[in-house]
Amino acid sequence: MSGGLRERLLRLKGQAKGEEAGSGEHGSGSAATAGRDDSAAGKPESRDYRDNTERQEPDLHPAFGMLGVRQMENEHGSFLLRRIDYPFDYRHGLYELGELVGYAPALEPVAARQNKTGRPQDGHPDAIRAERLIFLDTETTGLGVGAGNVPFMIGFAVVEPEWRRISVEQTLIRHPGEEKAMLHYLLGRMAGRTHLVTYNGRTFDWPVLANRFILNGWRRSGVEPGHLDFLHPSRALWRNTLASCRLSRIEEDRLGVERSEDVPGSLAPELYVRFLSDGDAGHLDGVYRHNERDVLTLVTLATHFGALLSGEEEDDPRADELPEGAEELYRTAAWLDKHGMRRRAERLFAALAARDDAAAARWWLPAGLRYKRLGQWEQAVRFWERSAEQAELAAIPPVDAHVELAMFYEHREKNPAAALRYAEAALELALRRPASAREREERDALRRRVERLRRKAGRL
Amino acid sequence: MFKKKILSELIQELRKNENVANWQEIEPQEARTSPMPESVDPRIQAALAKRGIEQLYSHQHTAYETVRRGENVVAVTPTASGKTLCYNLPVLQAIAEDDASRALYLFPTKALAQDQKSELNEIIKEIGIDIKSYTYDGDTSPAIRQIVRLAGHIVITNPDMLHSGILPHHTKWVSLFENLRFIVIDELHTYRGVFGSHVANVLRRLKRICRFYGSNPILVCTSATIANPKELAEQLTGSPMRLVDDNGAPRGRKHFVFYNPPIVNAPLNIRKSSTVEVNHLAKQFLKNKIQTIVFARSRVRVELILSHLQELVKSDIGSKSIRGYRGGYLPKQRREIERGLREGEILGVVSTNALELGVDIGQLQVCIMTGYPGSIASTWQQAGRAGRRHGEALIVMVANSTPIDQYIVQNPEYFFDRSPEYARINPENLLILVDHLRCAAYELPFKETEEFGPLDVADILEYLQEEKVLHKNGDTFYWSAQSFPASEISLRSASQENVVIVDQSNVAAVKIIGEMDRFSAMTLLHDEAIYLHEGVQYQVEKLDWDHKKAYVREVDVEYYTDANLAVNLKVLEIDRTRDRGQAAVHYGDVAVNMIPTIFKKIKLTTFENIGSGPIHLPEEELHTSAAWLELKEVGPEIGTKTLEQLLLGIANVLQHIVPVLVMCDRGDVHVTPQIKAAHTGLPTIFIHDHYPGGIGLAADVYKRFDEVRDAAANLIRKCLCKDGCPSCIGMELNGINGKQKSIQILSGL
Repeated sequence: MSGGLRERLLRLKGQAKGEEAGSGEHGSGSAATAGRDDSAAGKPESRDYRDNTERQEPDLHPAFGMLGVRQMENEHGSFLLRRIDYPFDYRHGLYELGELVGYAPALEPVAARQNKTGRPQDGHPDAIRAERLIFLDTETTGLGVGAGNVPFMIGFAVVEPEWRRISVEQTLIRHPGEEKAMLHYLLGRMAGRTHLVTYNGRTFDWPVLANRFILNGWRRSGVEPGHLDFLHPSRALWRNTLASCRLSRIEEDRLGVERSEDVPGSLAPELYVRFLSDGDAGHLDGVYRHNERDVLTLVTLATHFGALLSGEEEDDPRADELPEGAEELYRTAAWLDKHGMRRRAERLFAALAARDDAAAARWWLPAGLRYKRLGQWEQAVRFWERSAEQAELAAIPPVDAHVELAMFYEHREKNPAAALRYAEAALELALRRPASAREREERDALRRRVERLRRKAGRL
Repeated sequence: MFKKKILSELIQELRKNENVANWQEIEPQEARTSPMPESVDPRIQAALAKRGIEQLYSHQHTAYETVRRGENVVAVTPTASGKTLCYNLPVLQAIAEDDASRALYLFPTKALAQDQKSELNEIIKEIGIDIKSYTYDGDTSPAIRQIVRLAGHIVITNPDMLHSGILPHHTKWVSLFENLRFIVIDELHTYRGVFGSHVANVLRRLKRICRFYGSNPILVCTSATIANPKELAEQLTGSPMRLVDDNGAPRGRKHFVFYNPPIVNAPLNIRKSSTVEVNHLAKQFLKNKIQTIVFARSRVRVELILSHLQELVKSDIGSKSIRGYRGGYLPKQRREIERGLREGEILGVVSTNALELGVDIGQLQVCIMTGYPGSIASTWQQAGRAGRRHGEALIVMVANSTPIDQYIVQNPEYFFDRSPEYARINPENLLILVDHLRCAAYELPFKETEEFGPLDVADILEYLQEEKVLHKNGDTFYWSAQSFPASEISLRSASQENVVIVDQSNVAAVKIIGEMDRFSAMTLLHDEAIYLHEGVQYQVEKLDWDHKKAYVREVDVEYYTDANLAVNLKVLEIDRTRDRGQAAVHYGDVAVNMIPTIFKKIKLTTFENIGSGPIHLPEEELHTSAAWLELKEVGPEIGTKTLEQLLLGIANVLQHIVPVLVMCDRGDVHVTPQIKAAHTGLPTIFIHDHYPGGIGLAADVYKRFDEVRDAAANLIRKCLCKDGCPSCIGMELNGINGKQKSIQILSGL
């Protein structure tokens, strides 16, 4: 077919598009609903992607039909879209999806840390509103962020408060020629949204998408979207206490989501290649479900962190829910501290102090240091005393708590006698530790401290 | 009181030395200059004037004007003739005119890139225009990479980084590629053989990406003197080139001396060690405070000569003023030595060929080479280090006992009358081409009709589609594999699968010190092999063939190892044949099967065999191109046993002479004699490329076979030994009149 003919056909399609525009938009409502009544179904919609039209009689593989996938058209061609609306009261793990709306503003400190500049177009910088977020996860053909890695599926969710629902959409390209149309659609959906909510999207999903925009002839202009990338916060909390910080692990172990018959994300590229070679959409069933689940989990994860950051008010019911393990308790407290949630952090530190197990004891020393930094000596000393007690029971005893206490009594309290007691105890503990060059230095330092304190105490 | 002699006196003394085998004088040349073109920005003119450059040498002027006209240029310039101005001037001028202009500089090594950045930044500072030039390579910190990508006017890098770090990530370099006005390729002559064939394909990819972003940069290349600079530049870049070779830099009179150490063992034709003679010669100049550079071929040799010289002259001038220079030194150290040489504080330097490339060390008075550097082009590059613009300079090449050194010394016309070597590349080597097609498709989808060099690549693309590496949609092929192809392809190695060399001397800090192609690794990195790296001895503790890793540990031993490789050759296809009556010469494809058998431990000082051991490695097969000569009829007076020895002897000579004639590394081409070739049963000598698919060396041997044959016969004839020595056909042919019979066989071809 000559180029001229092709153009003519596209123009004809453009006309056809105009004719079926109405039905297309209405029809694009809830192709599938998540097992509940959707009160919004059938109501007219207002959308910001009016230039995309559903194709009425697409010649789609039957498996696409089963998945609720439809073909979309816009000025750049066609692509496939699957859309599922979830009502606000749909529960995914620990939270109902709608809870995000209340908790989203609390994510502001995370946004502030991850984005250097505020979002000026917003009026007040860094204000986070649920309906201005877009939750995004891509499935790509390869690894890395080079020019040859192609996102063949983009899953994203947006909050539609007026319909009290969260809409999950998944685009798919049947061949590389559909990419531009898909990206155009995505850009439309991103319009007016301030932050991308992702898991490692700052260094993966978004750079990969940025490549594709450039390859399709678009250049960066205007404000880049802000990021709410929950990989780093998740690592801050769970780096040691979970087997891995993969999203699937976190959702199962910390967010109460159960994944059944899941296709691992790492298989997605292979399944897509199979689809490319034989056109059987059945291969993609698992990929759709995996991606959809990831996007929903992003909502839950954001809600979770929002809840965490909302506990500053005493009457918040979430404030009583504490992480179970001592390490997680400490890490959560430290993370909250870093995000300016001092009171909430303090409740967690208090809970840590209330624990009596050996696992908790390890964290009393750093907890004490936190209070030392804040100049809250009473609490600091309480942590160190308990840490010191614990140390004296250990086979290879740490001396740090004793040293902190010795310093405290010497410099703050001007009580060399008390300081001397702790320094002597520290030296005794140090001698119980296996010798090494470093240990010897430590012992020498302690000896000097003890001698100095003896002189001071003797003078009094 | 000891009186210092001046250079001319020492030259007169040397003339009387009986070991001088040839004395050549090169006439002085006056500077040829043109006025600074008016189009050059006054700020640039002022900055140049400040450095004493008020006029341009003719070649600089021609290069500037040609580039201004929009033509691609390859400028051939000897050492220290101001070649960097050939590209810096048009590039700086273009940026001065339009701040959006961008340029990409390619240097073969990181060190040269660093040098260029320093030089550029000095002149940019004096110009006073805000021009940003950066190096971008493996050492660039992640913090600055973003700045380089967005704001660098001049990005200085190497082909390896371009291949794996820039092109596959071109979307991050939009501002460079959209505005790229110039691609500068310095040291063009280094891009030959396997490396050059890879780089030609990298440049195809680069040009493809430029087209995508709508830029069409001008190519500016500079090269040392080789026989075919224009052809090489055109083949490498795929673009027409204008040759600029009207070198206008002045030079003084040069004396080029071939020095052959005296014979110490007449029957075996063994000469006094060249190192000893070099020490002796260099001392004469150094103690008279004449600035001298000594070249040696290996890093060990450099250190050896250096310590000798420092000892010899320490009472006269102090050992601090003589320095070594080689690859392993830190950049800071090298900068210091270069500055010392330019400013005259350093009197002598002993260097590997690291100083052959365009590092600025000013001009010295004397250059001494320990042995023939291996090619005419290299020799001229090294010789170029001596020669002030006014006054005399002396170059002494002290020959080793090797066949090729002896050949050169005894045939000075070979060196002086002949144009330098051809630099050959074969970008169409199918394996290399396919590798880069994969990379190219990763970078941008491939249209069915798109060209990538002279071959019709549609077939290859379809093949890659069948392999599920590409996916075809409409008329376009798209990358569809999960991998990142550039990371699997190394530009420098001879085969795709390299053996990584892991130094575990320090258990706490195990580090990778190098890599080697797997065919070479069979004989150099087997268990217990002694492996020399930057002059340090390592022993291979374990060669893990499955995972392609060699674990080595530093040792200090008195021997080296030499492995025997059993080679079997099968002719797959004969492409061309030349019938020579009783003999024939063929060219075609062969399968080479190699299996290492045993290794010997050989004492460093006496070459005694002091032990051996088996090598357990699987057989490897290499498909490549070969030229071979077969003897259809041999006179009855030559028995089979004798013939076998003669073939070995001729193969020995060819192994020496072929790399010189076709300009490649010794290991790039292998010579294998067979008393009964598998496909014909005839006595045959194969000369094959040591790279899968071939890189055009055997093809060149076939094309220039008569030249190769004559050179081989000439070498044997002119060798001073009685009847065979290690410098020609080897020593195992006593009593059979081997030299004469070898020549007879060769002339029958």
